[in-house]
Amino acid sequence: MARFLTKRLAGAFVVLVLVSLMSFSIIWLVPGDPTAAFLDTSATPEQVERLRRELGLDQPIFIQMLEWYGRILQGDLGHSILLNRSVTAAILERLPVTLSLASIALALALLAGISAGIVAAVNHNRWPDQVVMTVALFGLSVPDFWLGIMLILLFAVKLGFFPTGGYVPLGEDPLGWLGSIFMPAMTLAVIQVGFIARMTRASMLEILNQDFIRTADAKGLKRMDIMLRHGLPNALVPVLTVAGIVAGALLGGAVIIEQVFSIPGVGRLIIGGILSRDYPVIQGGLLFLAVIYLAVNLVVDILYAFVDPRVRLE
Amino acid sequence: MNHYKGFGIAVLGAAMLLTVPGAAFAQTKGGDVVVGIVQAPPSLDAHVTTAQAARNVTLHLYETLFARNENAKPVPELAEGVKISDDGKTYVFPIRQGVKFHNGKELDANDVVASLERYRKIGASAPLLNAVDTVRATGPREVTITLKEIQSTFLDNLSSPRAPIAIYPAEEAAKPANQINYIGTGPYRFVEYKPDSHVKIERFDGYVTNPNAKGRDGLAGKKEVFLDSVTFRFMPEAGARNAALEAGEVHFLETVDGPTAKRLQSDKKYAVYKVLPFAFQVIKFNHAQPPASDVNFRLAVQAALDMEEVMAISYPDIYQMDGAWLYPGAAFYTKSNTEKYNQADPEAAKALLAKSGYKGEKLTFIVDNLRANTDTATVVQQRLKDIGINIELSVADWPTVSKLGFTPTGWNFWAHGYGIEPYEGPASVMAPWVNGTSQQKKDGKIDEFYAALTTTMDEGKRKQIFADFQKHMYDNAVAMKAGNYGLFQVSSAKLKNFEPSRIPRMWGVWLAQN
Repeated sequence: MARFLTKRLAGAFVVLVLVSLMSFSIIWLVPGDPTAAFLDTSATPEQVERLRRELGLDQPIFIQMLEWYGRILQGDLGHSILLNRSVTAAILERLPVTLSLASIALALALLAGISAGIVAAVNHNRWPDQVVMTVALFGLSVPDFWLGIMLILLFAVKLGFFPTGGYVPLGEDPLGWLGSIFMPAMTLAVIQVGFIARMTRASMLEILNQDFIRTADAKGLKRMDIMLRHGLPNALVPVLTVAGIVAGALLGGAVIIEQVFSIPGVGRLIIGGILSRDYPVIQGGLLFLAVIYLAVNLVVDILYAFVDPRVRLE
Repeated sequence: MNHYKGFGIAVLGAAMLLTVPGAAFAQTKGGDVVVGIVQAPPSLDAHVTTAQAARNVTLHLYETLFARNENAKPVPELAEGVKISDDGKTYVFPIRQGVKFHNGKELDANDVVASLERYRKIGASAPLLNAVDTVRATGPREVTITLKEIQSTFLDNLSSPRAPIAIYPAEEAAKPANQINYIGTGPYRFVEYKPDSHVKIERFDGYVTNPNAKGRDGLAGKKEVFLDSVTFRFMPEAGARNAALEAGEVHFLETVDGPTAKRLQSDKKYAVYKVLPFAFQVIKFNHAQPPASDVNFRLAVQAALDMEEVMAISYPDIYQMDGAWLYPGAAFYTKSNTEKYNQADPEAAKALLAKSGYKGEKLTFIVDNLRANTDTATVVQQRLKDIGINIELSVADWPTVSKLGFTPTGWNFWAHGYGIEPYEGPASVMAPWVNGTSQQKKDGKIDEFYAALTTTMDEGKRKQIFADFQKHMYDNAVAMKAGNYGLFQVSSAKLKNFEPSRIPRMWGVWLAQN
């Protein structure tokens, strides 16, 4: 197990170094700089140059990169040019918002996806299966920003069940928090429901054709018992991996959903950073998301090794 | 008998009530208005940013010595007036008495001096004060500014709302950029700024209205606040903004698209306003590169384009055809020398093109991803194709395009709006072309016009200089003005007495009770 963990951690470290290098380089390949956010088109070249000097953008890229690595090794993600505060503080301030959005979306996606997958597998090739698969296909195909707007129009404007956007902190008003987070989480979850449902169904169908299920059936166990006690726990092993991927996708998807629902999370911070070329925010934000993504996948790998000993042997 | 007496008093009372203007009745104090704005302000330190999103908020918090009235003319705000010396180089500003900052401190000359000195050092539009030699407190409530040379636009500059030369308390003005406490003398005081969410401001009960102001007057005038607070919510997504308005969560949207404005116009729950003109649509040439380095090529393009087509497609229902390089109503506005505007004459264009050195090579039209700007580029591309000009569009986000567009290579055409410049006045309209900044090649004639305009005090002569500048723009097709465009703004019908302006003013308005 120790060897397994060491290998996984070493892999994660290499990925992290590559991501940090990429997040630093990519933004330098894109033209434009933060002066456009502060100054308008009438700014003289002298004004632009002065601002660039003040922001430290006149330094050679190599020097800037060394400074960036020096800082991240000390856990400092830099200082936001536009927000005028530390990137780490800006991220940590928004992290609870994004995490609550992603975790509720994950819970909704797992609950709905696994249930739908089971229903489809149990009713293989019958109408419930076809209904679930059609709905899953719809969920996978629909763009999340469009779905978000449609849900706002229906549930907020027409029915008035939820606010159209914005965020209420949990500590301020728990019910308000749930109201503000539920619809964006649902939007975010829809695509993943389809994905999880299809995976669960495939996995269940494979398990249901195994000898031990046939034996259980021959022993005269109830169909429900066979499904829940013997079928589902085995079928969920691959779904665990999928959950890791889904968690990462939800963090990525949150970037768009936070924009649609005006939610002040990490995604919106990064988009704002990109649009205004706030380099430290983009670099720090990307690195931070990569760390979370890697951590989630590491946890999933470890859990996987626990539930399936074959993984450790490999 | 007592009954009759009571009845008589009631009738008298009713008659008196009827003689009071209706508006005074409806005014109610209280309520929180939520304003949906597209972007978050990059900073609430008014000195350091020229962003529209920042102005929307900061002009409620801070005030300037002079401010623009309804016709964009500078009028005294924190100053009582100004005495200008005969040589035009010394300006003495008496400061209004009894003006309070949000922290309770009374405004004095030291605050003004410290604020102006800070702006000269770190202001986003510091060149506005380039002509200043010294700024001194010459009395507890008197500030004297001496200029190095005559600058006829000095009061225009001092009152520019672009990156407002806000007056801060001296102790705040001593702080570096973006590190101040947001304290001003404006009718609202700062409450909170939640990044990526909202800014909240509340009525400043200690606000001292300018005694010389008659009523609401542009960014100056009487600033009477009825609302308890205003929350500016940052809502980047247009559909979500519209939905929030229709769900009653937002009372005012600073901009809505044309189809939504049309749809809401017939609904009594909303009031739709037009801010027209809000900006010019301008198509720029890169003079540093052939073929636009050749005046015949530029004149050919100018002759070919149907500007009505450009404007009708880019800004349906909210445009004005106007070739003048200022807004109608501005002091220096003139239609003279605009005969070459909107020619839509392909034959003349072909003749001019034949005289140019253009040989059919592919040209690059850079444009940002704002729908109206890409529409402009697309129309221009198609029309110029008809006379044999081959254009490729290069669409990117604003930071990318604006970076590229101020370099001499990589582009031939660029279209975008000029909003604040024409509002500020003739010198600001000329400024982008001085030193060849926008066209990437110095134009000695424009530099001369600018120098003459800014150093001539005689208004008649200055008007002539601007008319000559306008002629030069058309005779040489330095750049092309397509027309004026506007913005649709929508409010809930509950928001009363609102008047549209380029900065949505939350003074003089109130919320109806039901």
